[in-house]
Amino acid sequence: MTEGRTGLRLKVLAFLVVAMFAALTTRLWFLQVLAWEKNRDAATTNAVRLVEVPAQRGRIKDASGEIIVGNRLSWVLTVNHERAGEDIEDILFRLSELLDVSAADLGERLDDPSYYDFSPIPVAVDVPLRVVLYFRERQDDFPGVELVKLPVRRYPLGASAAHVLGYLSEVFADELESPAFAGYEPGDLIGRAGVEAVYEQELSGVDGITKYRRNSLGETLERIGSQEPVRGNDVVLTLDADLQVLAEQSLLAGIQRARTIFDADSGQELKANAGAVVVMNPDTGGIEAMVSYPSFRPQEFTRSLIEFDSDFDLDSRFGAATGFPLLNRAIAGQYPPGSAYKPWVALSALQRTKEQPNEPIVTTTDLYACPPTWITPFDQTNPNAIIYDFDNWTSANLGVMNLSEALAMSCDTIFYPMGYEYWRLYYPPPWGNDDIEGNEDEIARQPLQRDLRGAGFGRETNVDLPGEERGRVPTAEWKRDIHEQYPRSFPEGEWFPGDFILMTIGQGDTLVTPLQLAAAYSGLMHPDQRLCTPHVLGSVVDPDGNVVREHRRSCSRRLPFEPGYVAYVREALTGTVQNGTAQGAFAGFPFDRVWVAGKTGTAEVDPKQDYSWFAAMTEAQGERHVVVVLVEQGGHGSTTAAPIARHIIEGLYGIEFSNPTGVEVTD
Amino acid sequence: MDLVAGRAYPIERRPMRHVDGVLLLATIGLVVVGLFAIYSSTHESLIDLDLDPGRFVKRQVAFAALAIGVVLAAASFDYRFLRVYAGLVYASSVILLILVRTPLGTSVKGSQRWFELFGFQLAPSEIGKLAVIVMLAAFLSEIRSELGLPDVFRAAGLAALPAVLVFLQPDLGTSIVFAAILVGMLVVAGARARHLGLLALTAIVLIFAGFQVGLVREYQIARLTGFLDSTNDPDRSDYNRLQAEIAIGAGGMVGLGYLQGTQTNLRFVPEQHTDFIFTVVGEEFGFVGAVAVLGLFGVVIWRAIRIALIAKDPFGTYLAAGVASMLSLQMFVNVGMAIGIMPITGIPLPFVSYGGSSLLVNAAAIGLLQNVHMRRFT
Repeated sequence: MTEGRTGLRLKVLAFLVVAMFAALTTRLWFLQVLAWEKNRDAATTNAVRLVEVPAQRGRIKDASGEIIVGNRLSWVLTVNHERAGEDIEDILFRLSELLDVSAADLGERLDDPSYYDFSPIPVAVDVPLRVVLYFRERQDDFPGVELVKLPVRRYPLGASAAHVLGYLSEVFADELESPAFAGYEPGDLIGRAGVEAVYEQELSGVDGITKYRRNSLGETLERIGSQEPVRGNDVVLTLDADLQVLAEQSLLAGIQRARTIFDADSGQELKANAGAVVVMNPDTGGIEAMVSYPSFRPQEFTRSLIEFDSDFDLDSRFGAATGFPLLNRAIAGQYPPGSAYKPWVALSALQRTKEQPNEPIVTTTDLYACPPTWITPFDQTNPNAIIYDFDNWTSANLGVMNLSEALAMSCDTIFYPMGYEYWRLYYPPPWGNDDIEGNEDEIARQPLQRDLRGAGFGRETNVDLPGEERGRVPTAEWKRDIHEQYPRSFPEGEWFPGDFILMTIGQGDTLVTPLQLAAAYSGLMHPDQRLCTPHVLGSVVDPDGNVVREHRRSCSRRLPFEPGYVAYVREALTGTVQNGTAQGAFAGFPFDRVWVAGKTGTAEVDPKQDYSWFAAMTEAQGERHVVVVLVEQGGHGSTTAAPIARHIIEGLYGIEFSNPTGVEVTD
Repeated sequence: MDLVAGRAYPIERRPMRHVDGVLLLATIGLVVVGLFAIYSSTHESLIDLDLDPGRFVKRQVAFAALAIGVVLAAASFDYRFLRVYAGLVYASSVILLILVRTPLGTSVKGSQRWFELFGFQLAPSEIGKLAVIVMLAAFLSEIRSELGLPDVFRAAGLAALPAVLVFLQPDLGTSIVFAAILVGMLVVAGARARHLGLLALTAIVLIFAGFQVGLVREYQIARLTGFLDSTNDPDRSDYNRLQAEIAIGAGGMVGLGYLQGTQTNLRFVPEQHTDFIFTVVGEEFGFVGAVAVLGLFGVVIWRAIRIALIAKDPFGTYLAAGVASMLSLQMFVNVGMAIGIMPITGIPLPFVSYGGSSLLVNAAAIGLLQNVHMRRFT
């Protein structure tokens, strides 16, 4: 072997070694110089544990400052999965006996993917003192288990105003992944409905953070800094707690009374299964009370964390069997308004008559007959048209009356012809039944609908509560579309005179929410006939008591009717309570002390029993209110809803409560 | 005077006059770096356990002292005797590798790798590496003509026997070192590229066959391929690699300072005083420190190759080339796995990692290098 050849081969070896060094140095350069910042951050995050210090949630107060949702400290039992380690099953078993819940539920709770492995997971809230004491003595037997005092929601009024206030629940795992929930940590509580949800940003406050150094075993070594939590702002509502309670009691009493009334149509007692009340300030749109029955206890959502994760059968608790108690019927229940709709039809008819005096639909002065039945007139252009007859609510002939009395007496047979006039004037053949698509005059053919929308029907009121429904003002276009979409539920796609005719008495396909009706009646009461956006927020107050912001009142929309007509209709509605359909319900009411106007409504909802409505406007001592009451399957407006409204009005003005007795059945 | 041979030389040829001082200094440098790194990576855990924070470093100092003796011993006799006794050395090391699989050996974490001797652990696989170097050097230096294919396969067989025994322990990393020693020495001995290719092919087929009959375990494959895709599987070895990378990367250009590395002090890097010792250097001394340590290795390997070049006989050349191959591959695989470019195999970083067997065997290797260097004129 020659020196030279060995030398060459050794150079090959040396070359390989040099290549190794080059590879190592390049990679080191990349890791330590180019990717240094990323790695430094990773090392820092590794070594630091951030522990959230939850901020105390802001309180919710009524208009007078009374706390209706506060906070209290509750014993919360938490389990740290990581620290419990191998003993976890044994611990869960013993905890399940202690807390009287199943170990499987506890285990499932611990497996909640929205929590980190190292974080203590609350498994029980409001742990009874007996358990606290037992646990304190035997803490060593429960590694990883801790009892901590945490603030939870307190509801001094119990179940009152539950739908307005809403409730809290833990943020869900899939929500945490969404950017909309940035800043939320696993286990954080979040407003799920009502004010808690709408004003979540104000109420939640800013969680504090404590930084600890930690090692790879997850052991916390020392505190290296902290940021104090900032308490959430208080939310002051327009709600009046006393009025709210009164409205709830009145509705409940009215419902119970209704259940004793025999309903001839169905041959049994009224079911009166549900109801709603809205009390509103017509000048501001501030909601003073809002009730929906059946209701729930928001406390239920705080109390048992485990039940909600597994066993809790939301459906059996909050489903059809219990009447959907989570539904806020005041804003999300949609009902035909019945005769409570008539003031708006009258206003539209008066307005249209003024615009086209040669084709009067109705006037303030003319007298009209109120027979038991009204028959559609013979149509000369369509001799084959079927003749329909429409009945009044009573089989008695009420004689002749003007529009004002027709409102007070709720005479259907005076309103039906108005509907027919809308058809005759705005929807005659050849338009009648041809294809309406692309017809630019479609808008011109909906004067009644436009006026009703102008009063706020068929659109959201934009109240600051979640889940509002918009009701429905049917049009020919809507009817055709819905028929095409759901031919079984809506077998008819054509627009007939009957659609206008039924609209005049708030039936047919018309739907409103109790809040829409309250807002519309508020428009009648507003000095400038404006529609104020209904709201529950009064102001937001920071923890030091400074007002952060006031609710900005919005009353920009005006009722599209002549002020004289509005005044006329408003005055006409005083007749309802004095000598009209609600005369019996308001018998003996001191009208000299409190001005009251109102309208009854009895809505037919096939195949159910009639729905009972009453809408009232009141004024006395400079205080003005609108009260709307609905009772599902509550029978006639005069017998069920009107007495409830009266009771609330008596409470509002400090009038001695009357004892509602059998009221004569009217509309 | 040559102590063993008892021969007398002219003064200028006396072995004592030709000690490679550069090699010695670089080696001592690596050991000292290792002592500092071992303290840094172990003192926190030891304090937590209420133990002497210097416990590990003191043991390593003891090994280092022992290592000096080993260097002296390995350099004292004429290395050419080894050529005669190569077979004996090789056979005894193979026997040790077999014995360690019997109840005489100690099992740790499911692998049987050590003999417990007076409270110290002796890993026969470490001795085996040196034995294979000696055996291959003796075998290759016997071949006077061109290295033929049969020679290549015979040499491969010599390396394969202990390598397979080690592999079965299982210790994948050390068997890879055997392969590297073999290839390095065959290259220097003049094996043709064609033959080396054929050898590689055979090895691949055998490993595949081994996998089929269950000798190669699933996790070993996973570990070898896991580093290729960092998001693949967040299992333990992947976590180790990630934490090691973070530690080194966080060091930046000049490091966080001695005992200041959070990854190190808070024990995020597992087995840091042994397999991942380089992460301490990377985190606390930065790019500058890491490159300096690589530089020390560079010096050691350069000297080894230089000794191979100037050795008096082919046996010395192969011996030195084998040691160079062994050290460079161990260094490359160990540092490479700490920075994520090599799979995680339990190969310690020569001279730096905590561990007696490794340090003593590497010291013996240095002693042999010195031996060859010292006797290049005799």
